[in-house]
Amino acid sequence: MKMKKLISMALALVMVTSLAACGGNGGEQSSQSGNVSTSQSGAGSTSQEESQTPELSGTMKVVATGDMYGPLFDKFTEETGVEVEVLSMSSGDVLSKLRAEGGTPSADLWFGGGIDAFMGAKDDGLLEQVQFDAAADLADNYKDSEGYWYSKGITIVGFLLNNPLMEELGLEAPATWDDLLDPSYQGEIIMSNPAISGTNYAVVNALLQTKEDGWGYFDGLNENVAYYARRGSDPLNKVIADEFAIGITYIDGTVEALLPDYDVTIVYPEDGLPWVPEGVAVFKNAENVEAAKYFVEWMFSDDENLTLLAELDQKTGVKIIKPSLEGVEVNYDTSILMEEDLSLFGSQREEILAQFETLMGDKAVNE
Amino acid sequence: MSKNNPVGKGASGDALFPAVRRLADRLILLLLLGGICLFILYPMLCILWRSLQGEGGLTGDMYGVVWEQYGRSLRNSVFTATCTSLLCTLFSTATALLISTGRGWRRALGMGLLLITMVSPPFVSALAYIQLYGRRGWITYRLLGLSWNPYNCWGVIWMQSLSFVPVNALFLIGMLSRMDRDSLMSARDLGAAPRDILRDVVLPLLRPGILVCVLLSFVRSIADFGTPVTIGGRFTTIASDIYLQLTGYSNLEKASAMNMFLLVPSVAAFFLYRWLMGKTGPVSGERAQQQRLQLSLSRCGAAGWLALVTGGLFFGMIGLQYVCIVATGFIQRTRGALSFTTQYLEELLEYNSETMVRSVIYALIVALVGTLFAMLFSYYIYRRRVRWNTFFDCLATLPYMLPGTCFGIGYILAFNHPPLKLTGTAIIVLANMLFKQLPTTTKICAATLSQIPEAQERAVRDLGGDQLNVMRDVIFPGLRPAFLSCFAYNFSSSMTTAGAVLFLIDPGHQLAVFKLFDAVYSGEYALASLMATFIIVIVLLVEGGVYLAMGRKERSHVS
Amino acid sequence: MYLELEHLDKRFGEKRVVRDLSLELAQGELLCILGASGCGKTTTLNMIGGFLTPDGGRILLDGQDITPIPPEQRPVTTVFQSYGLFPHMTVLENVTYGLKFRRLTGQQIRERGMSYLELVGLADRAQSRIQALSGGQQQRVALARSLAVEPKLCLLDEPFSNLDAALRTKMRHELKRLQRELGITMVFVTHDQEEALILADRIAVMEEGALAQLNTPEELYRRPATPSVARFLGVDELEWRQDGTVWKAIRTRGPI
Repeated sequence: MKMKKLISMALALVMVTSLAACGGNGGEQSSQSGNVSTSQSGAGSTSQEESQTPELSGTMKVVATGDMYGPLFDKFTEETGVEVEVLSMSSGDVLSKLRAEGGTPSADLWFGGGIDAFMGAKDDGLLEQVQFDAAADLADNYKDSEGYWYSKGITIVGFLLNNPLMEELGLEAPATWDDLLDPSYQGEIIMSNPAISGTNYAVVNALLQTKEDGWGYFDGLNENVAYYARRGSDPLNKVIADEFAIGITYIDGTVEALLPDYDVTIVYPEDGLPWVPEGVAVFKNAENVEAAKYFVEWMFSDDENLTLLAELDQKTGVKIIKPSLEGVEVNYDTSILMEEDLSLFGSQREEILAQFETLMGDKAVNE
Repeated sequence: MSKNNPVGKGASGDALFPAVRRLADRLILLLLLGGICLFILYPMLCILWRSLQGEGGLTGDMYGVVWEQYGRSLRNSVFTATCTSLLCTLFSTATALLISTGRGWRRALGMGLLLITMVSPPFVSALAYIQLYGRRGWITYRLLGLSWNPYNCWGVIWMQSLSFVPVNALFLIGMLSRMDRDSLMSARDLGAAPRDILRDVVLPLLRPGILVCVLLSFVRSIADFGTPVTIGGRFTTIASDIYLQLTGYSNLEKASAMNMFLLVPSVAAFFLYRWLMGKTGPVSGERAQQQRLQLSLSRCGAAGWLALVTGGLFFGMIGLQYVCIVATGFIQRTRGALSFTTQYLEELLEYNSETMVRSVIYALIVALVGTLFAMLFSYYIYRRRVRWNTFFDCLATLPYMLPGTCFGIGYILAFNHPPLKLTGTAIIVLANMLFKQLPTTTKICAATLSQIPEAQERAVRDLGGDQLNVMRDVIFPGLRPAFLSCFAYNFSSSMTTAGAVLFLIDPGHQLAVFKLFDAVYSGEYALASLMATFIIVIVLLVEGGVYLAMGRKERSHVS
Repeated sequence: MYLELEHLDKRFGEKRVVRDLSLELAQGELLCILGASGCGKTTTLNMIGGFLTPDGGRILLDGQDITPIPPEQRPVTTVFQSYGLFPHMTVLENVTYGLKFRRLTGQQIRERGMSYLELVGLADRAQSRIQALSGGQQQRVALARSLAVEPKLCLLDEPFSNLDAALRTKMRHELKRLQRELGITMVFVTHDQEEALILADRIAVMEEGALAQLNTPEELYRRPATPSVARFLGVDELEWRQDGTVWKAIRTRGPI
């Protein structure tokens, strides 16, 4: 809790200074600073943050994977006075847009999406370095060593089965990745194109890393996959809609929440769960870099914020990223997470996807 | 300017500054052509430039790669487009005949369904399609027990064919309404049975329109990425591959080169279209007639029955689709059991109305400015035939041939640096919508313009008016029917298209159609269905309002 | 009588456009229905042609009640005001169009088509496109097309209104010649008094849907039944042919 107080205190100071600095937005912000200072009166410690915390103002524009993060951003607005505007966009689209913009991004913060896109953006020099003290508490695996990106959570991948369909088709539930090669599943498995879906890219990269004949495996799987959806959420949605019996999909609280309404089963493959960190990064040259940088620091520095995030995301993987986090427990057996060398995610991407494309294309030709 | 002049408008007040008025005329022209260059030509050049960029400077290498890698997709595109254009034209012709010969509530219902289809947002139709005709669709599986797989090229062709019908059918209905009734009566009078009239007179007279439908559907199918992405399964077209390049690989160079590649069949089709139009002359200049087309399709032999059956099939499928969409919004599925619920409606009402309001405002701006632009542009190009008019006409048609996302990327490439930094502003979104829709609106205006006798224009000049008077007193009043169509088209397109502005929207300017997209994406089909219904209702209300307002003006104008 | 209209009635919604109209016409005669626009003359013509069904009364042709017969089966043809030619067909194809539906061989159809084209003086344009013809030529094609099926009755709806004055005069005389030569029964609708007086064997003047007077041009001109008929005719002087029919109508004041 101490951290929060310090930040709030610092913020109160920022408010006052920014109020003095610019009279333009005064009305709105004066009430903000008033609120913060009354709640903070008495907490008097002079911390280093005061000098480090930048003057925050204006609006922070966020591209996120969904619009479920409202409460988190509201909290940020409440504590800093920075208005937040969110747009949902897939990470691939974000990267395309960034590249087209040629270094003049129209958003400040990138919130969520497969880490491979973040790695690509870092290589293109599109991201801003963010350093803060609490970063030390984050596990090394889940952050860029130079601070260009951090992880806000982990997406794990499993199977979703449509029970009535499985029954109707007389199929046994698959328990492992190898089970998926069973010819009886032919045409009943749906997964996303790994080029589009960060989670399914993780499946491909992780299985290639862990399996002896990785490409042989995907050749076999390709025989059973009906098609590779061009949207990340399609496997889930299509299984729910009774269109396919087995979907290779992300598994989180939202999927679990389906269980009462839909007759589906979640399978955590016994031979390992592929996973992928979800990135957070600040865009270089963005209009409100300062607010975005501070947001990253603000979020990771306060367990309350991370807990809120985990709730909104309905994912518990954030505990893995910040082991010291209290109030969140991982709700699956972390030992079945696959051994992955994340550094390969970025470097091998082009090569893997190219080979995968050839592999998919061959089937299309044979059809 | 004529206020000071008690004698009336025109004479001395306007004549006081002939030089100034000539200048104004030039200035308008400059503004129009400048707009076209800046917002169509320049982004296109940026795409071309990007496609030529390699690691070591300018290179055409990417084209070699694309040719090798995507030859098959291009063939797929052409195949799909050919099938779609034929099937869609069959549907459109049948639908147009059905509506034109129909009467009473059936005609009204048909027109209503066409309009609804035209103003429908994307995505939800695909959802309904899967719900009805999917592997476990209500019709295909549960009703007919078929084990058919819609995730292939036939699914794409079928869905494109259905969704392209409204524009084509409305075009053909307009043509049928202008068809010389005396020709039809003569044929009947000379002993031709309905079957003969349809075969010998109606269809031959409709032929230029049918050809136009074939070609426009072809071009539209080539550029359509949404349908193959949603239900193409493993089937790829060049447009869906471009989408994959942008969304999956973020490879702008390759995507740009593929775009140029895709333009080849489209431009070919477009020039064929121009050539054919030149050969058959513009669409008949006659005024539309109130009289219904008197032809009993059921007595028209095989062709009549074909029209009845395909037209009926189309309306049946579309009707079912909308029943499905609306129903999805009110039905809760719990483990296969269906029950009625207003839960989703309540959820929708809690949604932030800000994006919806912004969408409506944007659409209104685009509809007004875009319509004005199209009216002026068509006047200068088709009537005044200013220098380079063919070039500018072709230029204004280009956005129709590009997949929306690429046109959007072109805008980012073009407008991301000062002094032309427009990224992140509302202007870039508005301009993109406006120019993306310009090909259609200018064609609508051109068709109407051809019905204004040039004599009226000459009369204005003859009586002492200048070009500006011609515009104000002849062209604008004459284009009133075009105004309505353009406004309606602009408004509904701006409310419902997503592809073109996907990359241009920034977090501060969220639009309703993307909220809808999010809902679809996250599997909240009920909410998505309700949002789509809501958008359709708003579009129909606004357009109905404008129609009534204009209609009242028209009536008071006449009396 | 050859053509008999008995108590014809037609309403469009509330409006009664033809009221209790009865007419008779002998075979080989040319009847002009004359009246101001909106008097119901075209409606009457369309009922005779079968394009409109009367709300009351019946139509007898050559002793047969043709009221229920649809236009395609009626032995009646119409020359429309805008001709209704098929722009996608050649001149000959237009003229022979109606013959396709008779039991005739291709050779017979061609021959008959050509003979009617000769009759209207357009044999050399048989293969032309319709758009390539002048207005007067199009008019003649339309006439030839209607006559080629050899109908019992030919109807003409203001056929000369799209022609210029000189051509109109020429066509009137040509029509009269053809009608006499072929002995065809015709009903001709016009609002032009001069035209009616020149062409008609008998004139029916219509006012507000009802028949105001039916008589020969001479009688009509000499003894208008009502002041309004007289005013409508508004003709001061007529020149006569030797056979006693009107050759020229001279108007010194316009109709009121």
